[in-house]
Amino acid sequence: MFKRFRSLFRVLTRRREFEDGMSEELRFHIEQYTDDLVRSGMSREKAARHARIEFGSLDSVKGDCREERGLHLFDEFYRELSYAARLLRKTPGFTATALLTLAVCLGANLTIFAVIDSVLLRPLPFPEPDRLMTIFNTYPKAGVERDGSSLTNYYERRGHLPAFTSLSIYRYGTEIVGEPGSTEREQTMRVSPDFFSTLGLGPAIGRTFTEEETTSETDHVAILSDTFWRQRYNADPHVIGRQVRVNAVPRTVIGVLPPAFRFLSSDARLFLPLASRPEDRTPLQRHSGGNVIQMIARLKPGATLAQAQSQLDAQNATLEADDPQAKMIADAGFRSIVVSLHADHVAAIRPTLLLLQAGAIALLLIGAVNLVNLLLVRASGRVKELAVRQALGASRGYVVSEVVVETTLLTFVGGLLGLAVGAGGIHLLRVLGADRLPLGSRIVFDARLALVALVAAIIMGIVFAVPIAWFNLRRHLGNALQSESRGGTSGHGAQILRHSFIVSQIALAFMLLAGAGLLGLSLQRVMAVSPGFQSDHILAGHILLPWATYPDGTSRLTFVERLMDKIGHLPGVLSAGVVNNVPFSGNSGKSASTVMGHVLRPGESPRGNYSYGVAGDYFRAMGFSLKAGRFLTAADSHRSGRVCVVDEDFARFYWPNGSAIGQRLWEGSEVGKDAEAFTVVGVVGGVKQAGLTEDEAQGAIYYPYVFRISDSVFVAVRTSLPPESLGLALQKVVRQIDPDIPVNDLRSMETRIADSLVARRSPALLAGLFSGIALLLTAIGTYGVLSYAVAQRRREIGVRMALGAQPGQIRSQFFSLSLRLLAGGTLLGVLGTLLAGRAMQAVLFHVPALNLAILAGAAGVTGVVCLAACLLPSQRAARISPMEALTEE
Amino acid sequence: MGKAAELLPGTLDMLILKTVSLKPLHGYGVLVRIRQISKDALEIPQGSLYPALYRLEHHDLIAGEWGQSENNRRAKYYTLTAAGRRRLRDETAGWNRLATAIAAAMNTTSEEV
Repeated sequence: MFKRFRSLFRVLTRRREFEDGMSEELRFHIEQYTDDLVRSGMSREKAARHARIEFGSLDSVKGDCREERGLHLFDEFYRELSYAARLLRKTPGFTATALLTLAVCLGANLTIFAVIDSVLLRPLPFPEPDRLMTIFNTYPKAGVERDGSSLTNYYERRGHLPAFTSLSIYRYGTEIVGEPGSTEREQTMRVSPDFFSTLGLGPAIGRTFTEEETTSETDHVAILSDTFWRQRYNADPHVIGRQVRVNAVPRTVIGVLPPAFRFLSSDARLFLPLASRPEDRTPLQRHSGGNVIQMIARLKPGATLAQAQSQLDAQNATLEADDPQAKMIADAGFRSIVVSLHADHVAAIRPTLLLLQAGAIALLLIGAVNLVNLLLVRASGRVKELAVRQALGASRGYVVSEVVVETTLLTFVGGLLGLAVGAGGIHLLRVLGADRLPLGSRIVFDARLALVALVAAIIMGIVFAVPIAWFNLRRHLGNALQSESRGGTSGHGAQILRHSFIVSQIALAFMLLAGAGLLGLSLQRVMAVSPGFQSDHILAGHILLPWATYPDGTSRLTFVERLMDKIGHLPGVLSAGVVNNVPFSGNSGKSASTVMGHVLRPGESPRGNYSYGVAGDYFRAMGFSLKAGRFLTAADSHRSGRVCVVDEDFARFYWPNGSAIGQRLWEGSEVGKDAEAFTVVGVVGGVKQAGLTEDEAQGAIYYPYVFRISDSVFVAVRTSLPPESLGLALQKVVRQIDPDIPVNDLRSMETRIADSLVARRSPALLAGLFSGIALLLTAIGTYGVLSYAVAQRRREIGVRMALGAQPGQIRSQFFSLSLRLLAGGTLLGVLGTLLAGRAMQAVLFHVPALNLAILAGAAGVTGVVCLAACLLPSQRAARISPMEALTEE
Repeated sequence: MGKAAELLPGTLDMLILKTVSLKPLHGYGVLVRIRQISKDALEIPQGSLYPALYRLEHHDLIAGEWGQSENNRRAKYYTLTAAGRRRLRDETAGWNRLATAIAAAMNTTSEEV
């Protein structure tokens, strides 16, 4: 078998040689025979004639020889291909429309599929990635849906849950890396020693961290990412043992990761041990996660997620039994949840992506219906030609294969163009910020996708051929010859088919338009939400104070106060402040607080709220509105009396009827000493920390910075200038105070808010684009089918007009046909939109599935576009001259 | 050509294999040789010779190679391949069995029944 293929392949690749050889061989035969005949006494002329006659037709022998080599199929295919290409070239309008439709529809699908493939489908780059799980704590009744895991969780769980082979923790971070004067901020990860073994992918050079390296006295080691190693160490193979300065402290390089190592969407280039003190690992700290430390685990072969979950539940129950806070924790609805790492990481974006793919598929359906309709119209125009050819002996197989070759040629070329559109689409997505999606940096346009697209294009071609071939074969020869020559109307079945195609097309376009409208409305409603402060003219940047030079609160406060003083003297600065966590920073961990005098009702759990430490004139810089009392001032950090400011959400919850001013509260979930209580001195507007769509207002407490010292701070500056223009000056000021410290993540607050909407804006934009294309395609389809109907019925119209019908009657007849089609399509579209709207609830913000304005708008736009598309053909029908229509043929 | 016998279906391939097995031959040579060894009893229709040669070559039973003919012309010579030799052996045995059986059947007299 294989040899036969090889022989065929050899012949196909050297077709010329084969043909020449065959001709020469046959010529040789005839000449030899002629010579023999001459030798036996015949005249040369007669001999040559005789030899040729006896040999038979040279061409038919050649044909038989080719057939023996399996070549005839290829010859036939080639012939049909060039015939199809010739036909398509002859109708450039149709061909261009079809190719453009295919290119846009396939390109749109390819673009979205590229995202789905890289975000949802492609497994994480670790061995047996489907066994990787993540575990997080949740306290739903306290308003804390997700709280990561605590160090205590890690030390209590590892080795004690038989469903897991290994379990580890990590936290993202940023550190200042490099020699003094040339420091840079790097993304880092702090990980437990078993992190790499849990993932199943460890350093390419060197070793991983050991258990001994998990205390802050012994953790002076680091593992480098491949890019860091190449850029900073020139890919030095002897890098192990060299020093890397992290936060002004030298660490020893002990390993280099392989190039393919990438944990989820992290850009970490440096990996450090997640060090902790023994007191951080005690049961008292079990619920102190704060969504900072995350846990991953690898399922044992054969173990299921359900087993793991029940083991985890059982362990939690045992451990909580002797927890002094057990009741409160239970009241908060505490649970630890195991989910697939990959699924969890992309959970937020999944519904949006699926929705977009559904939209792209709807677009493809519209395009496909359009094409089939146009092809049917084309086939109707060639009925006579086909009938003649069938009468002359063209086999059914031949008729079918001709159609398949033509449609497949069309879709294949359309697919090639679609690849270009898809590549452009992926580029567009990058511009729209797709690489900020989870796993978004994996989005690539590769040979695999191109192959999928081309195979899909070929399959589409074959599917398209089915109705056309059916149409071509269904007609009885005589009928076709006659019905056309009489100028009769087309078959009823084909007409119904075409009309139902139009109806479904209108319905799909309607759904896409209404869907885009819902997304747009949702986006508009999100953008109308106030972030809780005046977001214009604010520049905010992130500063990390290295532990080595700023070990305590005093040194940090000194730095912050010097910074405030210097920034205050910059030209164009109206006010400036410092906060440990600026809104929209991406960090939205909550902590507990206890209000003096607030008695928890049975079953009520302490609520988590945002806690901030602020310095300088933070509230004025951010433009918070003061509802009662006063803002915090710089002096509050130096006063002995503890004061704080709460936001209106917090005040409304705890003191719905009275004033918040003068009330007292403690940090943490327990009632503390009287001297440690903070007195509320002001109430400010509520803030959206996690994003504009944050619905549950959990409240916020602002403490003076000195009571909530952190090494990571944001500086916020309100300016009369364009905010971004202040960036360099701000960096200079910080370097003046400490040349080791860079300012990173410098963005205006408006940019931060806009960036937080990327997962909403891009889908709305794409859906709008899709529905625009869908409308255009529907218009083309409606126009094409109606024009055809008019052309088909020229003679009938001519007769009627000759008998006295008015042009207006003819026009309204076609118009009412289009109105009926439109009504059907709209009705189906409304039903579809209701279903789609319900399915879309996950990605919509405060927009119900049934929105009359959207439905009316979509109906209006589809109606206008479709009727406009019908206008021209109806006019043409009304202008038919009876004389011409009856005499032509 | 009235005296030439009709070729039985399927026997052309066998005859080609046999002639080519004796000595490398070009297409015309095969024709002449079959006529020779059958003493003009077998006449091969010229039109079906070449398709048969191409079929056998496609199935790798014979191999064609360009060479010089006796009168110094370029001609394609066919030789038997290893697979062709096996096939020829099988077909010869099969043919002999068939011929013997048919001959026996044809020579039967009424007493033997």
